[in-house]
Parts: sequence; structure tokens; C-alpha cells
Amino acid sequence: MGSVAKETTARSDDLELNKPEPEGWLGLLFMLPSIAFITGLFIIPLIMTIWMSFHNWPLLGRTKFVGLANYIELLGDSQLWHSLGFTLLYTGLVTAAIMMVAFPLALLVDRPLRLAGVFRTIYFMPVVIGFGAASTLWMWLLNPDSGVFAQILVGNGLVDKAPRPLESFWPALSIVILMVVWKTAGFTMVILLTGLQSIPGDVMEAAKIDGANALTRFRRITLPLMRNSFMLALVLNITSSMLAFDQFFIITQGGPENSTISAVFSIYLASFSSYRLGYGSAMSFALLVVLVAISSIQLTFMRQRPEES
Amino acid sequence: MHKYKLMISALSLLASATLANAAEVTLWVRTSSGAVLQALAERYNATHPDKIVVTQITAEQMVPKLGAAIAGGAPPDGAVLDLIYLPTFAAADGLEDITDWVKGRPEASAMSPSHIRLATYEGKIYGVPALPDASIIAYNTELFEKAGLDPKKAPATLQEITESAKKIAALGDGTYGFYFVANSGSWLIYDFLPHLWAAGADILSEDGRAATVDTPALRETIAAYRDMWKAGAIHPTSRSGNGNNAVEAFASGKVGILMTGSYIVNLLTAKYPDVKFEVAPIPGPSGGASSFAGGDSLALMKGIDEEKKRIALDFVDFYMTPEQQVFITKEAGMPSRTDLAKEAYAKFDQRNLVAYDVLSKARTPYTFSSDELFVSRTGPFVNLVQGAIFGDDVDGSISKAQSDFTRILERTNP
Repeated sequence: MGSVAKETTARSDDLELNKPEPEGWLGLLFMLPSIAFITGLFIIPLIMTIWMSFHNWPLLGRTKFVGLANYIELLGDSQLWHSLGFTLLYTGLVTAAIMMVAFPLALLVDRPLRLAGVFRTIYFMPVVIGFGAASTLWMWLLNPDSGVFAQILVGNGLVDKAPRPLESFWPALSIVILMVVWKTAGFTMVILLTGLQSIPGDVMEAAKIDGANALTRFRRITLPLMRNSFMLALVLNITSSMLAFDQFFIITQGGPENSTISAVFSIYLASFSSYRLGYGSAMSFALLVVLVAISSIQLTFMRQRPEES
Repeated sequence: MHKYKLMISALSLLASATLANAAEVTLWVRTSSGAVLQALAERYNATHPDKIVVTQITAEQMVPKLGAAIAGGAPPDGAVLDLIYLPTFAAADGLEDITDWVKGRPEASAMSPSHIRLATYEGKIYGVPALPDASIIAYNTELFEKAGLDPKKAPATLQEITESAKKIAALGDGTYGFYFVANSGSWLIYDFLPHLWAAGADILSEDGRAATVDTPALRETIAAYRDMWKAGAIHPTSRSGNGNNAVEAFASGKVGILMTGSYIVNLLTAKYPDVKFEVAPIPGPSGGASSFAGGDSLALMKGIDEEKKRIALDFVDFYMTPEQQVFITKEAGMPSRTDLAKEAYAKFDQRNLVAYDVLSKARTPYTFSSDELFVSRTGPFVNLVQGAIFGDDVDGSISKAQSDFTRILERTNP
């Protein structure tokens, strides 16, 4: 009898919890820290960037309101458009390359083998290195006089002269893509792995019983069911590639002949080589608009459920 | 026991009282000069009631950081920075006028002329030389001998450099005649522009407001470099090099002539004592000699209070004394004054004197946009050298540089 009474009280407690929250301010209080951070570190700087973009804002000397002049100049800035085109090219190539490496890796380490954990760790390790540090590391690895790559290739008699990939465009771009794949494929692998592992075993088993062969199972079950992790990996890769800076700033230094200047690199040059902070702000804002557009397209795709498509 | 305690507290009180009276003057110093300035400050602080506090700033970040500090109203009291930035800061009204003080120094006439020229804006002086250096060539005397050249006689024209480099490269066995750092703007102004100056030409007008890229001297210099590159006499890393490997390449004994700077003498004798080398001024295409007057100048920030200004200038007087000049020469390779050769170099390698003698003839581009024109890896000067020497279109590279220079100058001239 007593236990039944307890149950009833517990039930009524539950019912009370389901009532609308009487103290709305409590929720606001819990959100305050993150609101403060977002306001202080994102919203205010964003407003300041927009404000600065309407000014001629040199590092030294007086600032002057110029209205939309920076944005008008931006439209005719061939270097900026070239760098945006280059960034898109890089994003396309590097995203494809990462996917092509990360997906097989995810399939390989998604096995109930004892060593799978070890390999997962090995593939993931480069991810924990900072981008700047990894770029500096590769800059030295690639050094034609004392770098490891040159020593190995020349020492084994594979080539006569140390390769100098950074002196022409495609080799320079390829070597940066190679470095970025090495550095980030592990992360994409983990995202895809979570997708793989979320596929229920019984679905697979049912397919097997129905007589679907491995290829069919892969195409009809694995791929559609990991659609969302694919989309997530794509969004993350495309966004970070569009913002690429360190690898080009450190490894190619924009060369040869300014052909590997990414969009963020040109913002850096305008702001910290030409010291035109107003123009740099206008470029940053324009890039933000481009990125928001790309991301919203991707997110629309992501919102569709697999069964709808 | 109590007495001791009392005495100690009295002493510490006294100490804090003196500290409170003593003023602290903060100096921002670029890292490459940090150790020497730090040591000078310690020597000064040990003998003076006031304190010089040195803060080291990474070289590339000096301009943005100092600019931001001035804009934010919290600059240091002074800065020891690359002399090439003085016109920029002076024109932006960021530096304190010290004309009368400089002119009143007994050693005023012995300050490197290029350092004073760069510190001067609209007739007023805003800085004094701190740690100067000068660009020179170094050549490997063993390779000269092997190639049948006279190791006693330095190449006196770029033409002679070209011929010597080709002969040395012909020795084979991975030997190259010539090494210059072609993928770094700060290296190129240091080692490439002196060829033009030696021929009486320049890439900018005297006041730094107009570009004069296309000169016969530039075309002759480029022709000589192209000639060496085509002949395979230039070390292949020159093209993409940013300076990291230049000294090592020369020290390996496989490079005949290195475009370098005054510090090379002390660096080689200390780290690579086996290398047999001589140094010489940088020649023009067909004679003459010049050099890039580089290094640091000390400038005070606009609005520094009178007491701190007095202390900072007293510190300059301190490091200009012959005793400290010897110390600077030992640490940095070259004294700030040009009238102390005997004292400064008495105990040091006499090859240091080559750069010292050329300093009075050395020049520095007077410019308000050094980073954008010259230093930037993506700027018009680096692209000019890369395109005209390693590319196919010399005329196109030169005319593009002229128009890029002009466009930037039109926007940045104060």
C-alpha cells in the first residue's frame, strides 16, 4: 500500500515537471555565459568589421568614412577574384581527395579486429597537430637541400636531383593537398566511422538473407544510411578549405608568381602587408557572405531525410 | 633579532622608495637584436638609477604591433626597429622629434648617413642608429683557387662575378658559382639593390614617392643574373630560397660567391672555422660598389614625457661610448658609430672592416610602404626579380613592376 502511495506522488511530480516552466528567467540565466561569449567574440567584432569596411582605415593615421568605396573596389580587384577562384579550385580538389582517402580508411578500421583500434589511432594522429605546426613541418620536410624527402629520394637513387615542387603551380598545389589529406583525413574518417557504426546490424543481416551481394548492400544500405555523416563531413571540409590560410602562407608563401594565394591570404595581405584594415574588413565580410551561402545550400540538403530523396 | 628585522624592513622600504623614484623606460626591440639590446640595457641599469626595460617583438610583427599600440594610445616609450620603417612612422606622426639633440652630439657626424637619412622626415630627425649592418659578398677562396681565379682579388664588377661563378660551377661535383636569396623581399633589397646603387641608379626616386624601375643598370644586372642562371652557375635553391639555407650552403664549401651581410664574418668564424673566405663590397654591373645600410635605429614615440625622454637619450649616449661600442661590435659585428674602427675592431677579425668601410656609401630605400613594395612575398619587387631572372618575359616583368609600384605609391604616399 505504501509503495503505491509513493508511486502516485512520483507521478504527480512528473506531471508538475511537464507543466510550462514558470521561471523563464532561469533558462536565460543558463544561457547568459554563452550569449556573453557570442556577443563579445562574434557579434561585436562582426559589427565592428562591417563598420570598418565603410572606412579608409590605415594602420597608422586617420580613418575616413568612404561609404561603399571599398566594396566597389572589391568588385574590380582582379587579385581577389583570382584568389577566390583558386580557393574554389583548391576546395574542390582537397575535399574530393580527403573523401577518397577517408572513406576507404573508415571502411578498413570498421572491423571487429583487435588491431583496428591501433590503426584508428594512427590515422587520427596527424589531426591533433596544429595546422601552422604541420605546415612548418612539411616546409622543412620538403626542403630540397636538407629536407627528409629530398634525402630519401636522392639517397635511394630514385631521382638525380632533389625535387623542387614549390617552383611551379600544379606540383605546389598537389603537395599542399597531399599534406592537408595527411593532416585531416583522420578526422573525416572518424565522422564517417560513426555513420558506418550507426547502421543497425539487423538491417544488414536481413539484406544478406534476402540474397543481396556485398556491392548491392554497400550501394543500397550503407551509403543511404550514412548520408548524414557524409553531409556533415562535406560541410566541415568545405568550410575549412574555403578558409585555408596556414598551408599556403607557410609552405608556398603564395608562390610561384602569386598563383597560390587563397581568399583568406589576400585578406591578410590587404590588412597586414598593405595595412588597409578597412579594405581587409570589406573582403572579410564578402567572404563571410560567400561562406554563409555555401553552408546554407549544404544544410538544406542535409535537412532532407534519406527516405525523401 | 628584532633589530635585524627592523633593519631589513627599513632597507626594503628604502629600496622600494628608490624604485619608486627611478623611472622605467620601455623599449620594443625586434627579436634579432633583442639579445644585444637586452645586454646593453642590463649594463646601463647596473650603473644608473633609472631602468631601461627591453621587450622583444618578432621582426615581422613590429610594424603591426607598434601601429596598433600607437593607434590604441598605449605605445612603448621607444622602439629599436628596422630603419626602413622610420619614414612610415615619422610620416604618420608617430615619432618624437629629436633633431636638436642629435645635432648636438659630438659623434653626430659619425652616425651612418643612411640611418640618418631614413630617420629624417620633412627636415626633422626622428631616430639614431642602434645596430647597423651592411650587405656585402663573401667568396670561397679555395674554390677561387681551384677554378684558376685569384683569391686575393675580389670580383670588382658584376661581369667579373658572372665569369667567376661560371668557372667555379664548371668544377662540377655539385659546385655552384653563385648563391642569392631570391624568394624573400627583405633579402633582395639587401643584396640585389646595391648593384643598382653602385651604378648610380635607384628603384625609387630620392624622396621615395615615385618608381624608377626601368633603368639601364637594372637591365644590365638582370642580364648578368639570367646569364648565370641559364649557365647553371646559380645554386638551384636560390630561386625558392628564403634565406634559411644560404649560410649552410656556403659553409658546405660548394658555393663560390654568396650575397650576404656584414654579420657573415663573425658567424662563419664562430660556427664554421674551416671555411676559407674573403668578403668584398657589392659591385655594380660594370664597376662601382655599394651596400644596403640595414639594421636598427632607435626612435622615441611621440608624446613621451620629458623625464623618460631624457633617460632614453641618456641610454643612447651610454651605448655610443667607445667602451659599449666595442661590446656592440663583439656581439653584433658592427659599431653604431663610424669613427671608432681602431677601438671597435682591435681584437676582432679584420675582414669586418670591409663592411664597416662601405657603410658610409651604403644606401637604404626611402619609402613609406616598405612591406607592400619590397618585403611582401607577393609584392611587386619579389615578383620583378622572380619573373625577370627566372621567367621568360623580362620586358613584361619590368613594365608590370613599374605599374604595380606606381599604383601602390599613388595610394600610400603621405
